[in-house]
Amino acid sequence: MTTTSTTAGAERATSSPHRTRSGRIERDRQRWGWFFLTPFALIFLVLLVAPLGYAFWMSLHTSTLVAGESFTGLANYERAFTDPLFLGGLTRVGAFVAVMVPIQLGVALAAALVLDTLATRLSRFSRLMIFVPYAVPGMIGALMWGFLYSPRFGPATDLFGLVGATAPDFLAPGTVFGSLVNIVTWQWSGYYMIIIYAALRGIDPSLYEAARIDGASGRQIALRIKVPMISAALVMVVVFALIGTLQFFTEPSILSNVAAGAIPVHYTPNLYAYGLAFSYQQFNYASTISFALGVIVFAFSYLFLFITRKKSGLNS
Amino acid sequence: MQMTRRAGRRAAVVPVVLGAAMVLAACGDGGGEETSAASCTNTIMVEDVPVVTVWAWYPAMEQVVDYFNENNDDVQACWTNAGQGGDAYQAFSTALEAGSGAPDVMMIEAEFLGQYTIREALVDLAPYGAAELEGEYTEGAWADVTEAEAVYAIPVDGGPMGLLYRQDIFDEYGVAVPTTWEEFATAAQQLKDAGYDGYITNFAPNWWAFVQAMAAQLGWQPFTYDSASTEIGIDIATPEAIQVLSYWEDLVDRDLVATDEAFTADYNASLVDGTYASYVAAAWGPGYLEGLSDADADAVWRAAPLPQWEGQEPRDVNIGGSTFAVSEQAENPELAARVAMDLFGTEEAWRIGIEEAALFPLWTPVLESDYFADLEYPFFDGQQINKDVFLDAAAGYEGFTTPPFLTYVYDQGTEQLTALVEGQVDAEQALTNLEQDVGAYAESQGFTVTE
Amino acid sequence: MSVQTTGGAAGAPPTERTARRRRGREADQAARGPGGSRAGSHLFLLALVLYFVTPLWWLVVAATKSNSGLFASSSSPLWFADDFSFVDNVRRLTTYQGGIYWTWLGNSFLYALTAGVGATLLALLAGYGFAKYRFRGRNAAFALLLGSVMVPLTALVIPTFVLLAEVELVNTRWAVILPSLLSPLGVYLVRVYTQDVVPDEMLDAGRVDGAGELRLFFQVALPLLRPAIVTVLLLSVVATWNNYFLALTMVRSPELLPITVGLANWQALSSGGAGGETLWNLVVTGAFLSVLPLVVAFLALQKYWQSGLALGAIK
Repeated sequence: MTTTSTTAGAERATSSPHRTRSGRIERDRQRWGWFFLTPFALIFLVLLVAPLGYAFWMSLHTSTLVAGESFTGLANYERAFTDPLFLGGLTRVGAFVAVMVPIQLGVALAAALVLDTLATRLSRFSRLMIFVPYAVPGMIGALMWGFLYSPRFGPATDLFGLVGATAPDFLAPGTVFGSLVNIVTWQWSGYYMIIIYAALRGIDPSLYEAARIDGASGRQIALRIKVPMISAALVMVVVFALIGTLQFFTEPSILSNVAAGAIPVHYTPNLYAYGLAFSYQQFNYASTISFALGVIVFAFSYLFLFITRKKSGLNS
Repeated sequence: MQMTRRAGRRAAVVPVVLGAAMVLAACGDGGGEETSAASCTNTIMVEDVPVVTVWAWYPAMEQVVDYFNENNDDVQACWTNAGQGGDAYQAFSTALEAGSGAPDVMMIEAEFLGQYTIREALVDLAPYGAAELEGEYTEGAWADVTEAEAVYAIPVDGGPMGLLYRQDIFDEYGVAVPTTWEEFATAAQQLKDAGYDGYITNFAPNWWAFVQAMAAQLGWQPFTYDSASTEIGIDIATPEAIQVLSYWEDLVDRDLVATDEAFTADYNASLVDGTYASYVAAAWGPGYLEGLSDADADAVWRAAPLPQWEGQEPRDVNIGGSTFAVSEQAENPELAARVAMDLFGTEEAWRIGIEEAALFPLWTPVLESDYFADLEYPFFDGQQINKDVFLDAAAGYEGFTTPPFLTYVYDQGTEQLTALVEGQVDAEQALTNLEQDVGAYAESQGFTVTE
Repeated sequence: MSVQTTGGAAGAPPTERTARRRRGREADQAARGPGGSRAGSHLFLLALVLYFVTPLWWLVVAATKSNSGLFASSSSPLWFADDFSFVDNVRRLTTYQGGIYWTWLGNSFLYALTAGVGATLLALLAGYGFAKYRFRGRNAAFALLLGSVMVPLTALVIPTFVLLAEVELVNTRWAVILPSLLSPLGVYLVRVYTQDVVPDEMLDAGRVDGAGELRLFFQVALPLLRPAIVTVLLLSVVATWNNYFLALTMVRSPELLPITVGLANWQALSSGGAGGETLWNLVVTGAFLSVLPLVVAFLALQKYWQSGLALGAIK
């Protein structure tokens, strides 16, 4: 049996666990499978599952300044889902998703499509320059933009002055939303662009020749052939962006140092959880908020993947 | 097959080597050994004696610690700067919650002590001799660190308030320096009318502590709290508070004060380049100004007493001010208490603190000394600002009660002030909102809220 | 079922690649584009480049200014001041607090490389295991893995802190490295790439020859997985290098901080507090220098990560 596995019969042999010898091989394989998994699984269990379990345990208790800790079951979750600050934060990250993801996707897709059609030095240089902001740590990027948005340190006053206008206050309650969108777009569009670009590079160009013979213009080729063919990559990009945006934390956290009024502690759910834990020492409720957020992220991601399952090609 | 074997062997070697390198690298650099001695910013001068860990963010702290270590050979202080203010408190709270990692001695601003005493995180220092120190500190300072018979912290520096102003700007536009708040508003208008490009001062929406101090000047006492009981009195929207906040709201509406957020780069720049003509400041304000580099060389700064309200009994107020407390995780509370008491318990230490860090001492041997009263501050062209302004302010300070969740109050205060400055609420509404929010929070924490 | 599909997929890329190579790169490019006026496309790219580069340019310029230069009154933010203070800034950076900036940079390198290599190793083993072995519970385990990507960090931090405090690892280098060893995305990428690139036939042939599973892994699979290795390595290194929140909570002592937390500390120091020193020029210069290593690494390793990300994208 094992000799035939080197020929075309290989797949059949390895996929049928009927015979005793294959049965033993199968069991051995099982053990090896788990063996390869073990190192990762160990760290996973210790540093992810265990803390998560403890966090869940904490969310089932309530601790007050007066009374100390007591078991309260799901009461915290009830509180969370009726907490206007949490719900407000959720709405806000929802708004961020609605605005930021299309913008990032749009920029990334447009850039990738254009880059796919060019092979000049400028295009190669552009590809790199667009990607470089990803190499800047999020925290430092936010720090930088804090300076850039400042009327004194940043170029806004000069740039707006060139056209005779006054620069707006980027860190006021009304404008900080757009300012944050800008920071994240600047930071991440390049990363998504590279993913999409790489996917585009994987398309067989003979398809384009066929389309061109039929008289299709460049734009039609882009929209009708390229985009559908990279739908898997697009779905992946959107899922990443979705998860990241729903968990929005670093940039608002850093920017709140220079815009404390515009970015209150409950600006996003993750920021709220952090503030509850570290500023107000409400560790139990903070865990609740984190879990509640995690559940929502999970739900939305799976919903999105479900809706796009045909496009993404994921079968699981 | 031969080629693949060799290539395979090479490929096999790489991860093993990398893995080993990783383990060695991580092990070699202080893997498990995080003892206090390993992480001091200062150098320990006497080996083999107990070490007390200290977290503080005073400028020139290293010199103070060095002085202590040089003069004590049965205990050494090991200092780290674990962050400023809120950051340090977060680290401290996390360590307390986790059960380890907290320093022996912690620098805590006086108004935040309540947050820690209610969790029983601070050691009562009275049994270690702190009670005898009562006479060495001002009345207000001592009131802030004690609860009944227990002494939870040793006062270090204070923040009595005064008015720091740009003499040159006031002179240039021919405006007299105000001595009352009514005059202050008039002066603001006069400066503007005379063509001054900036603002008389800044009203920061993220500095609720400032509003608290201003209202306290009219006798505002919003919180009654005593850690022994579970009752808490919250009376925020009182006529005094409304009067003070309306005053500032009026100045904001008339565009007579700036509304920049405090303690940012832009704020610092505005302080030194003449965008603000004055700075309603605490005694640590001069140090703050001095520390901002490249101050305008032509600027002439002076200090004057805080404006008072006409017809009201003059009252002294305070913003900030810090203490040293001993955490319950200290292995040797007695030694920790000694460090807390002695770090800033000598004249030499205070000489460093005053001259290098511009701190304002609450320790009476220095506070009431001629040296301090007569000290001429070069930043103010030799003005004896202590004698002129801050000594009286400190002497009159009687203490201020804060609830054990002050961070929450400050955050809510910032939100209300931001709304006020944006024109969304008026002063009375802002204060009422705050009172409701804080009251609801107190109840959710198990307190019974009384008026 | 899955064995059959991987068998099929493993066949496709090699033939496609050879075909394309035969066709030649120029013909390839001609087929792809241009999709519109070249000038228009180039203008669009130029605009994008301007948008993405200007903040970095600001950083470069700002790093050459002294504290007073940064306060815009003396010079435009987008052009150099009269006094070129870069060397001065670097010197002050090196001497401030005993050169702690370089310690921070060194820490970032250490954490990033250690955790990066470790994470890659673990991801390789796990990804290979998922790809090449059908064992009971595999799908469940994989679903659990994917789900873990969605866990908000804030939920983990306090419990992880408590856990590490129990074994007295808080405020040590391990506290940052250990949690950074987890790269679920890395496992996913390795699995996908392995399924694509390592044919079962090869493994079975090796088994027939009597090779053990480990030997198969090291000698047959690993050489083929090089692009995936580099991609996962880069992703983990970047993720650890950029990490802020984890280090912020786990590590206190200044000499253990990575560059992200260190610079944030200086920023806080400059912004507020009594008698705080203004370190703006240090923060900016420090930020500039800290960005360089990653940028250089990306430029140098372009080839690898681009193809690696491609595989993940297509699958």
